[in-house]
Formats: sequence, C-alpha cells, structure tokens
Amino acid sequence: MSNDICFLAEFDGGAPARSALELAAGAAGLARESGGAAVALAYGKGSAAGAASLGSAGASRVVVLADTDGPVIALAAAAAATLRDDAPLALLAPATPNGRDLAAALMGLLGLPALGPVRAVRIEGGRVRAEQSTLQGTVITVSESAPDAPQPVIILALSGTFTPLEGGSGKAAVTTAPPTDAGALGAARVVESHPADAAVANLEEATVIIAGGRGVGSAAGFEPLHELAAALGGAVGASRAAADAGWVPYQLQIGQTGKVVKPALYVGCGISGAIQHRVGMQTAENVVAINKDPDAPIGEFADLFVVGDLFAIVPELTTEIRRRKGMTD
Amino acid sequence: MKIVVCVKQVPATTAEKRYTADLRLDRAAAESVINPLDEYAIEQALRLQEAGAVETVAYLSMGPESAAEALRRALAMGGEEAFQITDDALVGADQWATARVLAAALDKLAPDVALMGMSSDDARGSLVPGAVAAIRGLPLLSYGAELQLTGSTARIRRLTASGFDILEAPLPVVASVTDQVGEPRYASLKGIMAARRKTLETWSLADLGLSSEDLHGAALTRVVEARPPEAKAPTERVENLGPAEAATRIADWLTARKLI
Repeated sequence: MSNDICFLAEFDGGAPARSALELAAGAAGLARESGGAAVALAYGKGSAAGAASLGSAGASRVVVLADTDGPVIALAAAAAATLRDDAPLALLAPATPNGRDLAAALMGLLGLPALGPVRAVRIEGGRVRAEQSTLQGTVITVSESAPDAPQPVIILALSGTFTPLEGGSGKAAVTTAPPTDAGALGAARVVESHPADAAVANLEEATVIIAGGRGVGSAAGFEPLHELAAALGGAVGASRAAADAGWVPYQLQIGQTGKVVKPALYVGCGISGAIQHRVGMQTAENVVAINKDPDAPIGEFADLFVVGDLFAIVPELTTEIRRRKGMTD
Repeated sequence: MKIVVCVKQVPATTAEKRYTADLRLDRAAAESVINPLDEYAIEQALRLQEAGAVETVAYLSMGPESAAEALRRALAMGGEEAFQITDDALVGADQWATARVLAAALDKLAPDVALMGMSSDDARGSLVPGAVAAIRGLPLLSYGAELQLTGSTARIRRLTASGFDILEAPLPVVASVTDQVGEPRYASLKGIMAARRKTLETWSLADLGLSSEDLHGAALTRVVEARPPEAKAPTERVENLGPAEAATRIADWLTARKLI
C-alpha cells in the first residue's frame, strides 16, 4: 500500500485532454497532503510521446497503459495490474463516459470503493473524504471508504473540480505498463466511424457554456449564442427542448438525460430552468440567465437574472465583450 | 434471444428528499418512480421484441420490498417476467455491492443482453454497467443511442463529438442506453391488467449464493455527513433595461468576477 494519488490521464488528438491536466493538479495537491506521489495512468493516441509533459501538470510518475484509441474499458486489466502493484490511496477518474467505464471496470475487477461525482476532495487524518451534491442537489454528503475497504478509493470528478497548474516545471518519470490480456472487456470494438461535417464542442471540458432553450426558437436562433460563445472562448449547450426540436445536436444537451457540466460560467438564454435541466448544470460556479419571462424558475437560482429579449441582448453583449477584450474581426 | 433490463426504483425527480438519522436517504418518505433513464432501456428492449429480434424481456431490480411496484410498472409497459432481489442485508448498498448482487443474479438468469439505463437519477455515478461487465467477464457496450441484435452479435450506435461510432461485441453482453433510443411508452390499461398476472419472483441474497460478508456489509463506502446545501447569495435581478444597458450590466458583472 502507498499514499500515492493516481489519476486517469486521457490523451486526445496527441495531447493531454483538459481532464488530464485538471486531475494532475488535483492529484498533486492531494499527494502533498498524503505524503505520496501523483501518478498518471495515461492512455490514448499520443500518450507515449506526451507522457513526460504531464510532469509540468503535476504528475511525478506516468505509467502509459496504451498508446491507442478505442474503447478505454479494454485497458482495465492493464490498469488493474498497475494499481494492484502500488495500491495507492486514491484513483481520480474523469466523470466522462470513457473515464466512468474504466473506473467502473476497476471497481468491479478489484472490488474497490467508489465515490462521486464529487464537488470537492480532501484528506483528513489520512483518509480521503469526498463531498458530493446528490439527489438533484437537495443534499450535500461527505463520504469515505469503509474501514478495511481495499485501496485505492475511486473518485469520479466532473470537469471543473480542479484547476490545471500554470507554469509548472516538474519532470515525470515515464514507464510503460506490461502487455496484459484484456479478456472479454477488450471484445467490444469500434467497427464503423461516421464523422459529421463539423465536430461539436466537448461540453464536458468547456469552462464557459452558453446554453439555449425553448426560447431560442430555431436552429438559426442559436447563431447569436455561437457568436457569444466564440467571444468568451466557450461552447454552446442546450436544454432538452432545444435538442429534441433538432435545433442543435443531441451531444449538446445538458440535464437529467444529457450531460452534467461544471463550467466556471454558464449563461442560460431562453431556458426556463426546469429541474430536469438544472440537475445538469447546478454545480456551475457562476450562472447568468437571460429570459423574457420574469417568473422563469431559473430566476430563482441564477446568480444574475436579466429579464429581457435574448435576441436583443446577446448580440449587444457579444459586441461589448469583444470590445473589452480588444478583439477585432 | 433474451434481454434482462435492470430497473432501479428512485425518488421522483421533483420529490422532496430527506435523510434518516443514520445518513441514508429516507426512501419511504419520497414518492418513487422507475429511474427515468431505465425507462429508455425498457423501451429499447420492447422495440427489439416487437421487431422480432428478442423472444423474452425480463426485468431485474434490487431494492426494498416496495420496489416491486417499479417492476409491476415495467411489466405493464410489456415484457414477460420480473425478478426482485430484496434482503435486509442490502440496506445502504453502494454501487460496488449493487453491481456484485446484480452480476450474481444475471449469472443465474443468463440473458443474451443485460440492459441498463446510462445512469441513475439519484446518485448519477454510471458505474454499475461497467462493473457488472467486469465482474461477469463480459463485453460492455455503453451509452448506446440504439441497440441492434443480429445473430450472435450486439451492436450499439454511440454518438461522438464528431458524429457517431458503431461498436460491436459477441453475445452475451452488458449494455447501457441513453435517452436517444426513443420515447418510453405509457402503460395501457390492458397492460396494467396483464401485469398483475405476470410472474414476479423474489430472491434473497442466499438465493444468489451470496452472504453479507461477501458484500463487506453492504458497502465499501460510507456517508459520514449529510447536510442541506449552503444557502446561496440571492439572485441579482436586472429588469427594465434597454438591450445595450443590460449588456453592459452583464459585462460589468463578468468583469468583476474576472470571467472576461
């Protein structure tokens, strides 16, 4: 057993995903408290070449599981072998579909405790404690592993739970996991890939989200939201009503049956704020709402609620933000 | 071809929630429903049955005795039979224990596809499908927008950031689906009547060859504190401003919080 804090480091397009940088910073912080090391389990195309770069993000060691794309759950056996050797205190996993599947397989293979998605993690008296917002945000719970439960405890973290380090200069020692038979978990394969004309933003990694709802009215109505998102360096999201109407792709849906996001800034435009949407965005740090209905439920929980016509206000806001940022066409 | 859909009874999205003195959700106090994400899994199974790809649709649920109600509701939507695992030793079960118990029950039922919703509405961990696959040593097809069954293989269409992928695995598999499979049907009056005559079998832990010790009590985790969320600062309301003035107010607010 060790006091190390491991984390899953996904590579995407040859570089560490934002989740990898966030979890590296989170693991480094926790490892300082626990007296262990921050250890990355890296996977995805580019992870072998890019592994050392995780040093500046906070990792002191990196184990490359596989430099390949494909269903990440296939790496469960290799990850399990690594965790069995080290038995670290905790394993941080991104609360993305891939991260959850790999974490789930590790929970099942090794019989590990799992907590999350968490909103904060700390170490108290040598134990990892995780704070969660559950039951549609009606209750905050603090949880830990049961006494005598095996290590590590798996912690699922939404994007935005930790902040990537800036200007880090650490070096990470890189090793490669020995080849492991993936077994049945390696049997699910991608047999066809159908890229769309234009990729949609990865909402789960966006730090600014401009979301549109029924009040946006049409696909064309989302255009000003895209312009505002571009000015703020963010992504566009939607309520289920807007996704079901086909105004935006389903991948942009936030809420009960869609994505759960935790951006630094969420701007809801023409979104009423029904509970089914709220559960997907209530952990956003700053919530601004623009709605012409003064009685919209989002007015009850937004930090700033502007009553007015989004089609008049959003373009003006985009212009104002571009002006303040000194952006030109 | 047989599908077993795993169904969880959860407090209704809008129900008021309370925790008991020993920090567990007071499930008796809240109005309960079938986990909304599981309804999509039920719908997917019934559509495959209607298309002739599946002979039997069965349901499996772990929970208190009152969770039989969720299984009756599922049977009213369609399908043939239901199995409920209920045992005092399972009170407070966490995701690991749930996966372990469902895996044992699924080993007994041996379906071609064990189908689940992508997430439960109360805890939202989404770990049970992957853990069940790992424990049973079966492939996982997760987050499907559609499940297809052909011969000896299962396929899902999974939406990606840039379109969609088709994933394939040899049967038997564990699969999970999203709300893209199609709107769940309502139970008809005829369906509700028919459900009363369908088999609903109840199993204890011992029936699955498991003991409380196998499950580390019922959990590898424990809640040490439960409290209401912090009161948030009151909403700042801006009304009756022209568009340019409203935009300036928002920009000032963002600037003050270093968001621009």
